[in-house]
Amino acid sequence: MAANVLAKQVQNKWNNSFARLNRAEPGITGLLAFSEAWRIATDFLYPRDLNDPTPRKEYSMQEVRASFEFLSRAKMLPLLMENFLEDMRKQQHLIERDINEYMAEWEAADTPDFMARLIYRLEKWYKEWSPIPELGSILLSAYTLAFQTHLYSSFPPSFSRGFKQLIASSFSFVNAPCPPWALPPEPHPSLPPGPARQDVFLWSACESLGLLDRYESLIASVCYEYIEAHVMETCAKRWHESMLTCLRGWMTDRVVPWMVMPYARGARSADEARQMLQGVGSRFDYHMCKTLCDLRLQELFDIIIEYPDSMPALQDLKECLSRVDQRNELVKSLRRANRKRLLHPGADTNSIIDQYKNTMNALRFLDPPGVLLYKVADPIRRYLRERPDTIRSIVTYLVGDGEGGEGLGNENENEPIQPLQQRQADDYNDPNWEPEPIDAGPDFRTNKPTDVISTLVSIYDSKDLFVKELQVLLAQRLLAVTDGNYEKERRNIEILKVRFGEAALQVCEVMLRDMTDSRRIDQHIQAQKQMPLHPTIVSRHFWPPLQTSMFNMPGQFKEIQEAYAKEFHLFKPDKKLHWLPHLGTISLDIELQDRTVSAEVPPLEAAIIEHFSTKDTWDVADLATEMKIERAAALKAVLTWVDLGVLKEEDTGLYKLLEVAEEASSSSNPVARQAAMEDTSSVLTVQQQEQEQMKVYWKFIEGMLTNLGSLSLARIQSMLKLAPGYDRTIEQLADFMEAARREGHVTVRDGVWRLQQ
Amino acid sequence: MEQITTSLAPRAATKPSVAGTGGDPAGSVTKRLSSELMTLMMSSSPGISAFPRSDANLFDWVGTIEGPAGTVYAGLKFKIAISFPSNYPMAPPAMKFESPCYHPNVDINGGGICLDILQDKWSAVYSVQTILLSLQSLLGEPNNASPLNPDAAAIWDTPEEFKVQLLKYYRPISDEASD
Repeated sequence: MAANVLAKQVQNKWNNSFARLNRAEPGITGLLAFSEAWRIATDFLYPRDLNDPTPRKEYSMQEVRASFEFLSRAKMLPLLMENFLEDMRKQQHLIERDINEYMAEWEAADTPDFMARLIYRLEKWYKEWSPIPELGSILLSAYTLAFQTHLYSSFPPSFSRGFKQLIASSFSFVNAPCPPWALPPEPHPSLPPGPARQDVFLWSACESLGLLDRYESLIASVCYEYIEAHVMETCAKRWHESMLTCLRGWMTDRVVPWMVMPYARGARSADEARQMLQGVGSRFDYHMCKTLCDLRLQELFDIIIEYPDSMPALQDLKECLSRVDQRNELVKSLRRANRKRLLHPGADTNSIIDQYKNTMNALRFLDPPGVLLYKVADPIRRYLRERPDTIRSIVTYLVGDGEGGEGLGNENENEPIQPLQQRQADDYNDPNWEPEPIDAGPDFRTNKPTDVISTLVSIYDSKDLFVKELQVLLAQRLLAVTDGNYEKERRNIEILKVRFGEAALQVCEVMLRDMTDSRRIDQHIQAQKQMPLHPTIVSRHFWPPLQTSMFNMPGQFKEIQEAYAKEFHLFKPDKKLHWLPHLGTISLDIELQDRTVSAEVPPLEAAIIEHFSTKDTWDVADLATEMKIERAAALKAVLTWVDLGVLKEEDTGLYKLLEVAEEASSSSNPVARQAAMEDTSSVLTVQQQEQEQMKVYWKFIEGMLTNLGSLSLARIQSMLKLAPGYDRTIEQLADFMEAARREGHVTVRDGVWRLQQ
Repeated sequence: MEQITTSLAPRAATKPSVAGTGGDPAGSVTKRLSSELMTLMMSSSPGISAFPRSDANLFDWVGTIEGPAGTVYAGLKFKIAISFPSNYPMAPPAMKFESPCYHPNVDINGGGICLDILQDKWSAVYSVQTILLSLQSLLGEPNNASPLNPDAAAIWDTPEEFKVQLLKYYRPISDEASD
């Protein structure tokens, strides 16, 4: 029963199929016609080997169309398509063989022309196998999909590299005629000959193979690399002109025309093309900005060195930063560069200050609110604070006759001198108040754009240090003035007064007045009694400590000094002169038997030669004892005279006056001379002053340890408050005590200090 | 010692008004004391030294005297307590030996000192430094006419015997921390 039903069903089916294929033709003629049509259609579609030399069979298109029509009516087209695709799969090895062949050639030559040839070849395969469009878009798209799938699966891994190379080389086609290899091997049928852009063939071949979509990111990366390479090549180390405009021009000239091909192929009008390019174009523009920005960030340290000549580069950077947010990167890289190149012991303090100054200007320009500057400057400031000679450098910079020649004068030509600015709390009643920038750190303080000097001074918490150092410097400079022209110093002081305030510079004022007063007093005394001595009279309390010396001027010098002091006392009865005999210079004429030697020498030298007027031969050690000076100092002075040919070394340490000149033989020793001329400054530096003070404090420490036994560091520190003017921190004291321990003055046990017995 | 200081006090108290130091006596005394401290620290007189006991109270000092060379006291060190009156320098500071000192003019028990400039011969021009120097020389040259320690005065002329007694009482300054 069941078999019966089944047999019936099968028969029904068979009958249906037969009826469909035979289509009510008599007998099996319909079936025969169908099989003929199937044969023609499959034969027509069959993917053939391009390399097969046998000429292709000519089909009458009418016949072919008729067969397709027939099959379509029999609803057998899907089967035909399947059959075709299966045939393709079987023939795939032919393409694979070609691919491998071309790739091998490319790998051997490594030039893009083989890639181009491969692409054209593949395009030819594609065209060869493509079914005619009359068969409908379904078949065509099914074919394209199957072809591309097969194609991609047979690409070797090196293909993408080769393709990249090809794309990269395509940039050169934009403005130049294509090399022959980039053109299709045979005239293209579908395009009119000689189009405006010859590389269009290559691109259309790529497109028909679907490569443009598949390798889109690769193409973009090629373009990125192209842009990067160009930026690096043209912009690196060129800071003196604005590169951004020039780069944008380059993009329009070179990159945009190229982009038209891969990104705006289907465009029918210029407007449409522009629209299609907009998105990708802005991506490339962004990339260009980013590349330039990265480059400039890397170079920023050097750009800052060149400031203000590198202003155009900063302008570019500013524009790029507004497009690309690299602010954090800027801070990081500049801090890194500073740490590596600036903040190390090998860098001169002046250079650091100069660079800091330039950094300030440059970053203020990039970021007016100063957030970047604050973040970058912080380590510099901290480092500078630790350097011992920072204050002196800043003060020299303030007074400004450093090598840079950038003193107050130059700095202030374009900006008015302002008083030093102090930090101010936010004024919330200010209608122009603005909140802190979004990336400001918690400890950022809105500092209004201040001038460079205020910022430098603000490295330290108090400006007293500066005033102190300023005094020392001023003292040195005043004492160095010989022509009585103090105008420059006066001007400096006036300028500094505006900055530091009148009161802070009172002392400097007195020092300056001392100098002019000295001249006046001297004129008066000279009027009373002509004397060859012109002292500079300084008020001890207002001057930084001067080098002291124990020695007294001998012989005639002493007489002159005494005579002068007497006159002075008559003129100013309430004041007393205290001589600093070792400072100043003396012009001498030494009359010897055969000649007169004129020399301008320091007083010590003069005193030495005066001793020789009483005795011809002196031992250096005796001279030193006689004059209460150190032997080295005496020797130095004696050597000066040896160089001048006045003295001669008789024996070791024994010098004789040459009444009659000797042949100037090898006696003059330039090295010794130089050593003798190296004069130490007459004013104690702040550092030396501190050492002097520490000696006083040591007495106190000694005193308290003697009487109170052993003391802890904290106790010593608090007891030292009894010493006038003690202002050291406990850390400084600890350092000092440690030094004293090393020298064997004290011992320490369990944090308790005692005197070494 | 006690009777000396107490007898001194009333007389000394009258002096400031006599000398006319009005105003702020404590302030000027502090000033004087710190300047004396400075002078003392900067002058390097061998064998004498003094320093305030603490930075809080400038009126209470500790001094150290080394026995002068060539006397029986040579090589010995003595601690002295110095306490300044509030009207210093119109009145002399009260001084006594903290370490036992066997000496004709020093009370061996209380440490009181019999020295004329600490009593009626006091003058405002004296300073801690001059007092300490006087004390140092007193060690070598006692005033045996008015002894506080008659035993010591009695054997002063026999140095050997004196030295034995001296060393019997002497205690070297121990270095135990005073803080």
